[in-house]
Amino acid sequence: MAQSLLLISRQAPWSGPGAREALDIVLAGGAFDLPIGLLFLDDGVFQLTSGQNAKAVQQKDLSANLQALPMFGVDDLFVCADSAKARGVATDALALGDMKVLTAADIATLIDRYDQVITL
Amino acid sequence: MSTLHVLSHSPFGDNRLASCLRVMGAQDALLLCGDATYALQPGSAPFATLQAAGLNLFVLAEDLQARALDTPDWAEAINYSGFVELSIEHDKVNTWL
Amino acid sequence: MKFAIALFSAAHAPSSRRALLFAQAALAGGHDIVRLFFYQDGVYNACDSVVTPQDEQDLPKQWRTFVSDNQLDGVVCIAAALRRGVLNDEEAQRYQRSAICVQAPWALSGLGQLHDAIQDADRLICFGGA
Repeated sequence: MAQSLLLISRQAPWSGPGAREALDIVLAGGAFDLPIGLLFLDDGVFQLTSGQNAKAVQQKDLSANLQALPMFGVDDLFVCADSAKARGVATDALALGDMKVLTAADIATLIDRYDQVITL
Repeated sequence: MSTLHVLSHSPFGDNRLASCLRVMGAQDALLLCGDATYALQPGSAPFATLQAAGLNLFVLAEDLQARALDTPDWAEAINYSGFVELSIEHDKVNTWL
Repeated sequence: MKFAIALFSAAHAPSSRRALLFAQAALAGGHDIVRLFFYQDGVYNACDSVVTPQDEQDLPKQWRTFVSDNQLDGVVCIAAALRRGVLNDEEAQRYQRSAICVQAPWALSGLGQLHDAIQDADRLICFGGA
């Protein structure tokens, strides 16, 4: 049975290639049909806000890759409630649908459920 | 199930320590290395937080020595073979990159 | 125990040295390393044009020696490497760049190799950041 991997994405969308390179790990895993989960934590929640304009800073739009996640078989998408609240990000208005909103205690349980974890 | 969390960033002006402590489970352990060992600077807020947290706390000995920090009696200093063993003792390792 | 070790920081970062020392301790403890995977700034550890002052630790050289001596599989993420100008002969020719800094024992390959290593290993250990 394949080992499952949780990727915890903590970077804001354009703080360097971090957010994109974290997502690339997830998409690659999905392409190989591996069980992958993705949790947005801390500044990572800023990847999920609506109405962003990558072109304004001459960057690539991450949201296309984010929207592609289910197509790559990555359906286990999570967002940290505390991180969103601290940053004024409403969890009912995220750019990605079907996300599970988790408390800190839920996150501890979530990490336990996966075989491996990468926090990027 | 337990996870070994690893921190290497200074806790001052960085939120990895705070986030890590929020999401750690009761069976988890925390290894401080690199600048994260500054959390063991006596008289600092992170020091007080860790002292009160009652965690399974480990620290990489070489980093304490480099920084002239002491191991408090509520933490255990380890070397690299200890690091390897810790990584085996827990089910997974979560490095806060 | 089988370890997959992923490195995300450049050679001059303390975490790169820490990764090497961990890897050495893992082998010394009788464990196996299924793969070393360099991602993000970790690709710079495979760069042989890094010049280290004589009185400092030459991490790229130490990594090369470690991988060669122990016949380990050292993989550098090709996408991360290209973005950072860390090219082998083949990629330098493909993109018509003058600098070649990745040679054996390092191989440029995709993220599939990271996932493959994770599937094969008992433990994934990541090093990076500070």
